Amino acid sequence: MTYLRLFLSFMKIGFCSFGGMTMIPVINDEVLRYGWMTPVEVMDIVAVAEMTPGSLGINCATFVGLRTAGLPGALCASLGVMMPSLTLSMIAAHFIFHLKGNSYLESAMRGVRPASMGMLMAAAVTLGFATFVPEGAIAWNLVGIAVVCGVLLIKKELSIPKTILIAAVLGLILG
Amino acid sequence: MADIVFCYLTMEKKHTKIESEQGKSGAFIMKRYQRLLEIFYIMAKIGLFTFGGGWSIIAQMQNEFVDKRGWLTEEQVVDYMSLARSFPGVMIINMSVFCGYAMEGVAGGAVAAVGLSAPALAAIALVTYFYSSLRDNIFMARALNGVRSVVVPIIISACLKLKKTAVKGRPAYVILAVSFVICALTGFNKLLLVLAALAAGLLIWRGEIADDIS
Repeated sequence: MTYLRLFLSFMKIGFCSFGGMTMIPVINDEVLRYGWMTPVEVMDIVAVAEMTPGSLGINCATFVGLRTAGLPGALCASLGVMMPSLTLSMIAAHFIFHLKGNSYLESAMRGVRPASMGMLMAAAVTLGFATFVPEGAIAWNLVGIAVVCGVLLIKKELSIPKTILIAAVLGLILG
Repeated sequence: MADIVFCYLTMEKKHTKIESEQGKSGAFIMKRYQRLLEIFYIMAKIGLFTFGGGWSIIAQMQNEFVDKRGWLTEEQVVDYMSLARSFPGVMIINMSVFCGYAMEGVAGGAVAAVGLSAPALAAIALVTYFYSSLRDNIFMARALNGVRSVVVPIIISACLKLKKTAVKGRPAYVILAVSFVICALTGFNKLLLVLAALAAGLLIWRGEIADDIS
């Protein structure tokens, strides 16, 4: 039963997200709903996923699956998150010449992309609240780390794994 | 890490063995089987050495399949890339399915997707195994606190990058704002939200080719 639920949940995550970070809001919803992870663990897995090889979706699926139902769970969750690719994209690959440059598909995506971005921004707010206001009071040291790393990441265009390493060192000193 | 390196080394050995056997059997089925194995091996190699984003994966696939082997053309890769982004799911898995399908049909697509994910599965399994014990270590707990704080900046930088391609035209800003408010304030079903946005996109732009507004 848990296997099926993992598979279905991650299939939903797959179908709701369009690449990379836009997966976070849906993952957050699903894993919190079933009590598979705490918000703090969601933050951890995002960081871990960014530092290990592979895409965020697969990494999250493996992590959640392993922790809830062991190796079979990890396989079910990973397969679930791959389902849109294995079904929709596979069918599309068959008809690829018809779809190429289809203007209706592009129109639909012009609606979906900003919606995904809105979902992602909302996730940043809720996850930020969980991190920076852990017990009702603002954790200024963590806000400081976030600001420093944000500047490095956005202004200096440092790579994400390097930024995470710096954040870990800063955490050791200030955390 | 040692495990992963070992895994990679044995994979390499297997691969060279298969290649040397190629001379003995020229059967078509054997060749197809070998090409599938080679796709799996290349995808696993790419999956193992790619950290973070999907763009470097695409560059590596281009290098392996277009430049080194000539199994795909440059144009195919560019076409699949824009399609992979428009399909739900993990972008890079979509990309693998498209490329794999173009090379070896359904089996090729499946092999490419599984090959790319296999190293990630192994790496995360290792991390998860150590996760609980590491989290209780006082130094690790402090470092993890720092790591958690960086997730929000990472998301913000992803939003900034997305903004260039995702938000085109005034209606897109309205969709963005509505989606943000709904998600921040309510637990509205994300699948319905995506479907509503899809319908809105179709109704607003009605299939007009619009690369002019940016």
